[in-house]
Amino acid sequence: MAVLEEPIKEVLELKNYINGEWVGSESSQALDIVNPVTQKTIARVPMSTGDEVKAAVKAAREAFPDWRRTPPLARVRCLFRLKELMEENFERLSRMQTMEHGKTIDESRGETRRGIEMVEVATGIPSLMTGYSLEDIAAGIDEYVIYQPLGVFCHIAPFNFPFMVPLWFSPFAMATGNTFVVKPSPRDPISQVKIAELIDEAGFPPGVYNVVHGGADAAGILLEHPDIKGATFVGTSQIGRDIYKKCGETGKRAIVQGAAKNFMVVMPDSNVEGTIPALMTSFYGNTGQRCLSGANLVIVGKDDAFYRKFLNAFVEAASKIKVGYGLDESIQMGPMQSPDGKERVLGFIEKGITEGAKLVLDGRKPKINGDYSEKCFIGPTVFENVAPDMTIGREEIFGPVASVMRAESLDAAINLVNASRYGNGNAIFTTSGKSAREFQYRVESGNVGINIGITAPMAFFPFSGMKDSFFGVLHGQGRDAIRFFTESKVVIQRWL
Amino acid sequence: MALNTASEVISFARRLEEESAGLYETLARRWPATEDTWLAFARENRKNIIQVERAYYGVISDALEGCFAFSLDADSYTFPAGLLEKTGYTDALGQAVAMEEKIIRFYSEAAAQSKSLMADVPRAFAMIARKREGRVATLKSLPGK
Repeated sequence: MAVLEEPIKEVLELKNYINGEWVGSESSQALDIVNPVTQKTIARVPMSTGDEVKAAVKAAREAFPDWRRTPPLARVRCLFRLKELMEENFERLSRMQTMEHGKTIDESRGETRRGIEMVEVATGIPSLMTGYSLEDIAAGIDEYVIYQPLGVFCHIAPFNFPFMVPLWFSPFAMATGNTFVVKPSPRDPISQVKIAELIDEAGFPPGVYNVVHGGADAAGILLEHPDIKGATFVGTSQIGRDIYKKCGETGKRAIVQGAAKNFMVVMPDSNVEGTIPALMTSFYGNTGQRCLSGANLVIVGKDDAFYRKFLNAFVEAASKIKVGYGLDESIQMGPMQSPDGKERVLGFIEKGITEGAKLVLDGRKPKINGDYSEKCFIGPTVFENVAPDMTIGREEIFGPVASVMRAESLDAAINLVNASRYGNGNAIFTTSGKSAREFQYRVESGNVGINIGITAPMAFFPFSGMKDSFFGVLHGQGRDAIRFFTESKVVIQRWL
Repeated sequence: MALNTASEVISFARRLEEESAGLYETLARRWPATEDTWLAFARENRKNIIQVERAYYGVISDALEGCFAFSLDADSYTFPAGLLEKTGYTDALGQAVAMEEKIIRFYSEAAAQSKSLMADVPRAFAMIARKREGRVATLKSLPGK
């Protein structure tokens, strides 16, 4: 298969989008954005100054009074136009994600579709944001609740889904009448710049949506800023915990989605033929760089023959995965997004070996389809005999590594899952409704899969999370997001 | 050539639909008496492309799970794209039937392989396979010359 045409032809000089204008940064610091496959620089992103970050917040704050007075119907018309523009640019946006992140074109298209779905659901705000009322709570006295926007919200974005993740929040924030500042990941900020271009074209008023580039310093300024009413973050639990604490100290609302260590529990009665490809997607999709990726594969039962048969099928399928440039349609797994990410995964593999797990598929020297540097590539990797207290059994690897464990029974498997400090997206594979229900009922997991390896909730459901995978009360997406981005104002009235 | 990803399979389906539409348009030019049938098939092929692409681009899980949904051999579904000058009407009908049978097999096998993983794409494939079975019956009912 030929490699699809690259949409980025020359090095993009990225700017901040503040108050409806593209503004070059005064900062002397900038990072090169490198295509992880071709190793070519495709963009340069500034590390904005503190004043630039504050200018973005100021623009958002000043845009808020007019925007909140704009009728919800008029607000969502901007979103309808944005959706249209995203559809028109669907393929270009998807290929750009592949170029800046490395994921396959199928995965990028999935990400684009999912981002658009957030916009689609947020266009329902005129119905979704309505309050409720009750006449005669006492004779002649009525009471009702109104949901009102709060002001400026910000998002600190991760690198693993550069297009989609900020859209878990921004369409809901803007549709409910808030204004927004997004700080893209400095590792792959191009998608967010492209979204801002479309937002500009869609006719959103200046200041309603702002993009400011930067790293931890920029994030710190946003989190400290008194005009920011709430923050949303997706990233590691360690940083997430600090952000949640900071938001508590500064009185901000927060949705903080952290790390994960997801268990894929395979029952002896599972449909093996259907389960194996679902597990390939789960463990190796997006090169394992997602918080819903399978990490620990738990094969249930005392039957050694089933265990061996299933493991062999899993390893065989993993060993056949085609690794290369995601713009080649035949490629099933791209590289890690950065050399650092690869080094981190290699460190985990070394630890797995040192701690006594058996390496049954070694991805450290992958066969790469095409003439590309090995710099970011790592192949599918499988460890057997992993104990839950080993580093690779308990910590998030964020790469294409499967840790295989055994459990004697479903009960033991659920206990294994619940012993993890994380609770993000765990799944069971079974043909038994009873087992599925038992798992769903007892498992401590914000998102649960039943014969589904990637438990990603759709835009109209909350993206949940439990334990150290989530800090907050309300979640992103769906009705939770609408409640998060609005305050309840309760009116009690009597006319004399 | 192996087809493993949804992206490849969708591109391949588009190619089959376009090439088979091309054959029907050639048949329409060569045998205008049955032109309506051939051109209807060609139009339907283009609708099939839209149907398949809508399923693929429109459903998130299909794209996310797409990299591991298939294991097909493209070579076993290819057919001669054109019609030789010397080919007579009866042989041309036979060529169309053989082509349709290969395309039906492609859609059916692709649907079966992906049905436990994806959602809308296999459904679209199965629907097109069923439609094309009706087409084969039509082709076989046409009188030879």
